[in-house]
Amino acid sequence: MKKIVILLVEDDKLDVISVERSLSKFEMEYELYSAYNGKEALAMLDGPLKLKPPSVILLDLNMPKMNGIEFLRVIRSREAFKNIKVFIMTTSSEMTDRVTTDQLGISGYIIKPLNQDNSKNADSMDAFVQFHLRKILAETV
Amino acid sequence: MKLSTQILLAFALVLILSILDTSSNYILSLKVKENSEFLSKSQEIIRNSGRLHKAIIEMQSSFRGFLLAKDTNFLTGYNEGMKTVPALMNEQRNLVTQNSFQRLLLDSIEFIHKDWMNYANTLILTSQSASEEYWQIFNSKLRKLYGKKLNDRIAEKFQEFDRSEYKIREGHSANLLSSIQTTHRFSFIFFALTIVIGIATTIYIVFLISTRIKSLVSLAENISKGNFSKVIDTRRDELTRLTTSLNTMSESLNKNITELEKRNEELDKFAYVVSHDLKAPIRGIHNVVKWIEEDLKDDVSPRLREYLNIIPERTKRMEDLINGLLAYARLREKTIPQITDVNNLVHNLIQTLVPREIKVKVSILPLFRTEQLKLDQVFSNLISNAVKYTPPENGNIIIKCETLDDFYRFSVKDNGIGIDPEYHDKIFELFQTLREKDDVESTGIGLSIIKRIIEDQHGTIFVMSELGKGAEFIFTWPKEKTIES
Repeated sequence: MKKIVILLVEDDKLDVISVERSLSKFEMEYELYSAYNGKEALAMLDGPLKLKPPSVILLDLNMPKMNGIEFLRVIRSREAFKNIKVFIMTTSSEMTDRVTTDQLGISGYIIKPLNQDNSKNADSMDAFVQFHLRKILAETV
Repeated sequence: MKLSTQILLAFALVLILSILDTSSNYILSLKVKENSEFLSKSQEIIRNSGRLHKAIIEMQSSFRGFLLAKDTNFLTGYNEGMKTVPALMNEQRNLVTQNSFQRLLLDSIEFIHKDWMNYANTLILTSQSASEEYWQIFNSKLRKLYGKKLNDRIAEKFQEFDRSEYKIREGHSANLLSSIQTTHRFSFIFFALTIVIGIATTIYIVFLISTRIKSLVSLAENISKGNFSKVIDTRRDELTRLTTSLNTMSESLNKNITELEKRNEELDKFAYVVSHDLKAPIRGIHNVVKWIEEDLKDDVSPRLREYLNIIPERTKRMEDLINGLLAYARLREKTIPQITDVNNLVHNLIQTLVPREIKVKVSILPLFRTEQLKLDQVFSNLISNAVKYTPPENGNIIIKCETLDDFYRFSVKDNGIGIDPEYHDKIFELFQTLREKDDVESTGIGLSIIKRIIEDQHGTIFVMSELGKGAEFIFTWPKEKTIES
């Protein structure tokens, strides 16, 4: 059975739970690692995840210590992490950051709040798990 | 220079010119007086000269009469002349003390007269005795017209005297004439200058004051229009202080208003940020409750279920309040005016907001350029309010429009529960709702929002209603949205 390794960088515990619940809704093998800020995420990438780098990073932008954009800059500058797919979790009011994140190379956006009931919304968490993550899982060897 | 100094200087100049004018005329009058005094003196001199001459001639004719008649009675005139002639001579001398020529003439007249008197006296004395001496003189002098010659010389001298007097008189009158002319000329010049300078300074001062006042008035007008400009004033007079204080007022008003606008903006921003940030925890609470329900499913007791149901109700109300606040905070954001068919706008709202049971009557509504989004917000609020407070049975809503000079006057009328006049002002205040707290639909923000929208458009809104007799909301809205700078 193929397993997908996901790193979630998010400081809001509710959003972490939201992601966990969305993931558990669909039949899929995954391993979820959570970090509460960019610094912690980097430590994880260099520590526990060194041998099994994640194929997807879900990244919040507003975080203490090291924010999403700073974190993104760091991993894009390192050869080992260059190809990890990064999805930005953002509120619509943070549109201005999109220019910067687009330049740093990202795979898509998930609009917060994550638990919108209408799964029709193409940017919701459920839709993300249902379509994007499954596709990525299928692609991973 | 101070304005009062300038005015005083102008008046002083005019006054000096007037004084010059008056004094030149005064000097002339002195001259005229002097001349008339001279004239009367001169007339006396001429008159005296005539009397003197006459007295001498009378002596001569009296003497001649005596000679012819050999009668001493004839000598009365002669003897009288002996007294009057010296007296008159003295008098005349006193009158001409300043004229040496005339004095010399008088001297020579006296001298000749004395000569003649000697001759006449000798003849008179000798004739009485009829002596030889008489005949001697008679033959040597009388026969040779000695006396006549003397008399002729006296007459000549008198003529000369009078001529000289007339000449002096002529000189005087010529002088007087020329000084009259000079005075007239100067007087005219002074008078003309007085008038010209008087008018010029008056015009200058009136112009000066009126332009200064005009600039102050325009400054005040600018201030009243909210344009806080300044007036540059390099003069230093009484009005400068007024200009300075107006400038200061303009400046401080400008500062205060800018400050106020900044504060308002900050407040709007604050309300926006706060309400935005408030939304996240509410959503969190909502989520957690949902998760609990999902996870527990049927293991929930009816009481717990009831409690759990209250939480989404309240979070929903909280969200409505926050959304209302957000809307209130974002009111000031300008939208683009566009051609708006109010008929369409209202009918669309009726379709989405009004249940079929309630009858709606709409009169013909205008088509004009305005901030459509805002007008839509107002109508949507008023119509949903009308629906909210009108029971569906026999429910009736009437929407009308009246055209005023610069405004449209719209009205939305229902036959619902109505509002007690006591609360007519209160309902437009923020967070004022006359319903119970758990009525989720009424947050008390709607009417305050539309009041603010309407007042931003310089319109007004009020309500006409009585408890149980329905309510009519009437508001004005500007006809054509002018482009604001």
